[in-house]
Amino acid sequence: QAEVEETLKRIQTHKGVIGTIVVNAEGIPIRTTLDNSTTVQYAGLLHQLTMKARSTVRDIDPQNDLTFLRIRSKKHEIMVAPDKEYMLIVIQNPSE
Amino acid sequence: TEMAPTVTRSQPNRAYLGCSGTGASCPGCASHKSPSTAKSETYISLSQVLDENGKDVTPRPVYQPDPAAVQSKHSKIFASDTSGGTMSDFYSTTYQTTTNASFAGAFTRSLFGSGSVSIGSQSIMESMSEEIEDPSSKRDNSISLSDVQVKREEVKELIQEEMLDDMVDLYLVESDTLCLLDMPAISVSVDSMEAESVKERNSRYTELCKNRTGNDKYMGRSMQTFNGASKTKEVQSEAITMADAATIANNWDMYDSFCSAGQGEVDLSTDTDKAMSSSSSRMEMEPFVVPSESKPDPELILQSEEFQQHLFVMERIILENIYQPKLAAYRQLPTLEGMVLLKCWNHVTEQLSKQKRLRREESSLDEEGPPTPALERLWSFSCELTTGRNVSSMAWNKRNPDLLAVGYGQFAFKDQKPGLVCCWSLKNPSWPERIFTCQSGVTALDFSASSASMLAVGMHDGTIATYNVQSREKTPVIDSSDCVHKHTSPVWQVRWINHERALSGEDKGEALISVSADGRISKWFLRKGLDCIDLMKLKRTRNDRFKRQVGEKERKSEALISRQAPGLCFDFHPTDSNIYLAGTEEGHIHKCSCSYNEQFLETYQAHKGPLYRITWSPFCSDVFLSCSSDWTIQLWRQDLFTPVLGFMSTQRAVYDVMWSPKWATVFGAVNEGRMEIWDLGASILDPTIVNPASPGVKLTSLLFATETDCVLVGDSDGQVSVYQLKNFTAGEGTQDVSILQPPMRLVKSMSADRRRLGLFWFYIENKNV
Repeated sequence: QAEVEETLKRIQTHKGVIGTIVVNAEGIPIRTTLDNSTTVQYAGLLHQLTMKARSTVRDIDPQNDLTFLRIRSKKHEIMVAPDKEYMLIVIQNPSE
Repeated sequence: TEMAPTVTRSQPNRAYLGCSGTGASCPGCASHKSPSTAKSETYISLSQVLDENGKDVTPRPVYQPDPAAVQSKHSKIFASDTSGGTMSDFYSTTYQTTTNASFAGAFTRSLFGSGSVSIGSQSIMESMSEEIEDPSSKRDNSISLSDVQVKREEVKELIQEEMLDDMVDLYLVESDTLCLLDMPAISVSVDSMEAESVKERNSRYTELCKNRTGNDKYMGRSMQTFNGASKTKEVQSEAITMADAATIANNWDMYDSFCSAGQGEVDLSTDTDKAMSSSSSRMEMEPFVVPSESKPDPELILQSEEFQQHLFVMERIILENIYQPKLAAYRQLPTLEGMVLLKCWNHVTEQLSKQKRLRREESSLDEEGPPTPALERLWSFSCELTTGRNVSSMAWNKRNPDLLAVGYGQFAFKDQKPGLVCCWSLKNPSWPERIFTCQSGVTALDFSASSASMLAVGMHDGTIATYNVQSREKTPVIDSSDCVHKHTSPVWQVRWINHERALSGEDKGEALISVSADGRISKWFLRKGLDCIDLMKLKRTRNDRFKRQVGEKERKSEALISRQAPGLCFDFHPTDSNIYLAGTEEGHIHKCSCSYNEQFLETYQAHKGPLYRITWSPFCSDVFLSCSSDWTIQLWRQDLFTPVLGFMSTQRAVYDVMWSPKWATVFGAVNEGRMEIWDLGASILDPTIVNPASPGVKLTSLLFATETDCVLVGDSDGQVSVYQLKNFTAGEGTQDVSILQPPMRLVKSMSADRRRLGLFWFYIENKNV
């Protein structure tokens, strides 16, 4: 409740964090600090990637499951915490 | 003529010539009340058909059982009939005849041969009749009831309003079996009775066919039939929409289906009730069909446990990204400059050893000495809750060396505010994991060793509380405020001590010991609530040796406020848990034993002011350090009554001193203005490393990290800064402190398995690029 809000706020104010997105299973943003078009773009693309990553992990061992996904690029790091009902995405610039 | 059938209502008081059926065949009909006069009438009953004028034009059954009547009719009929004909014409009869013949059914077929022509003529007569006489004469034959020649009046009762409410009797009777279709078999079995006759007929027929060709008796004749006009009929239906569906059967997809379906089957075998289990397994077998779940409410998602957990992990990961170099330094993972993205651990160590070799080579060529030891500030634990509060004590968790408890509380009496205890994790320096608010300032903290989640807190008002840091509750597990013997003055130190060599069984195990300014050292235990016994009462010792300091009055002349001396610190011997040292506000150090609670074993007097800390050396069991507000730190040996060494560097009160857990000759001290690291092997006059505090901030407490080269310093602004000792090697030089017993060896172990591989990825900023 209040703790969740506090934690979300704290995450957003950490150093280097560019944006935080929480989308539900359909890709509709529940909470976001970025503009709508970017949010939708991120959500859509990352959803597909997460599905693929999860599929990969589970194909190798069906008892395993994906818990976290981090993509490090030249400019940012995108961190995705996937779940059945929602997806939490944080974009951070770690070298800021 | 149009034949409009209407329903007639039977009127019982009239001679009703309505029914043409037999008594047997219409049981409900009133006209058949009296049995017929010995005539077995086997009519086929038909309903009444009346034409527009109310005349009865019911098709009558052709068969008349009374031959006499038939005969009389014959003559009549022949007279008036125009359509009577010979037998031969009979076959080419009119349409109507055939229909009437079919009405009469199988019966009349046999009559054809007998030459009764009345069939066709009668029916024609009926259809054409308008006379009433004729029908009446016919009726005489067919009706057995009365010979009253009454006008047959069929009262066609129109349904009127009031009749709607009347009770109408309806009689449901079973009608005779109507034969709608009779397809006789075209083959008979050889065994049947008719077989012979059939065979004979067949042979006769073949003979006939053979004779037919070329025979004058037979003449071919053609017929033309009308073909029925065909008609196209169109039907329209809605378009059938087709949708493509595709799926991929993955390994895990099949595994999932198997698991959920398989569960049902497992239940089947273990259930005792077979019927129930079979139905349940059937139910569980159903969805393999992706279940369409209701979409959860977004707010619910935010409240859910998994979301909180994910947030927690995410925050840690973000912070790891931010603090990664610092944490790596803390954990003594090598941080290499100028390298980006190191993946392989072996690769790293290789590089490291190469670099080390290079450096050593370089340094051997160099004329300069080894690099000077320094402190590098890594990060600080602080958040908005803690700013402005004074850090009074810090303690590591005994089981999880990444967990730090910090107590915030003012030392001075005048500016007391509610205290705070924060449990910080190394993985999140920006927000504590647990926050406990206490009603008064926290002055002492310690984690228990046996139950690692118990944290004992001593407060400025004398209360002692224990918290369970594992739970998320904000209240203490137990509190000493109800205890009769609780401390009445600030509790300056609490410690969990494990009494291993205790005399009685009760004393074994871990006990909480506290010292307070009311002069008591108490041992707390749980017996119907928290209760304590006094291990020692610190009495004031009359002291003739030292002159009183300026400002203090002669004791003899003044009335003592209390006979107790306020205790400020204590420390149990590292190996013998019976012996402990206690420091008082007077500046005396008393060596006491748990077995004697009246007398001190020894008293060491050297300090001129209140003692803030006493600590035994973890390496050398006879040596201890004490620091006090008289600007000095004294090094003692247990058996000598004067300090072996005294250290003074500034003219400020020394608040805290601690031996380094790694190096036997190193200790750290904190006074108001700065933090000092002393290395006795290097110099006994000056501290090796000095780190001044930021202006306006007083440093209040010091803690060494147990397994790394780091020092934590708490200050009066609520910050706990973490410093790393760089280039620090305890002096291997001559030990002129020969009083100190050997071995003052270097207990430095940098083995690879001590490094914690908490971080796999290194991302070092390439500063040169």
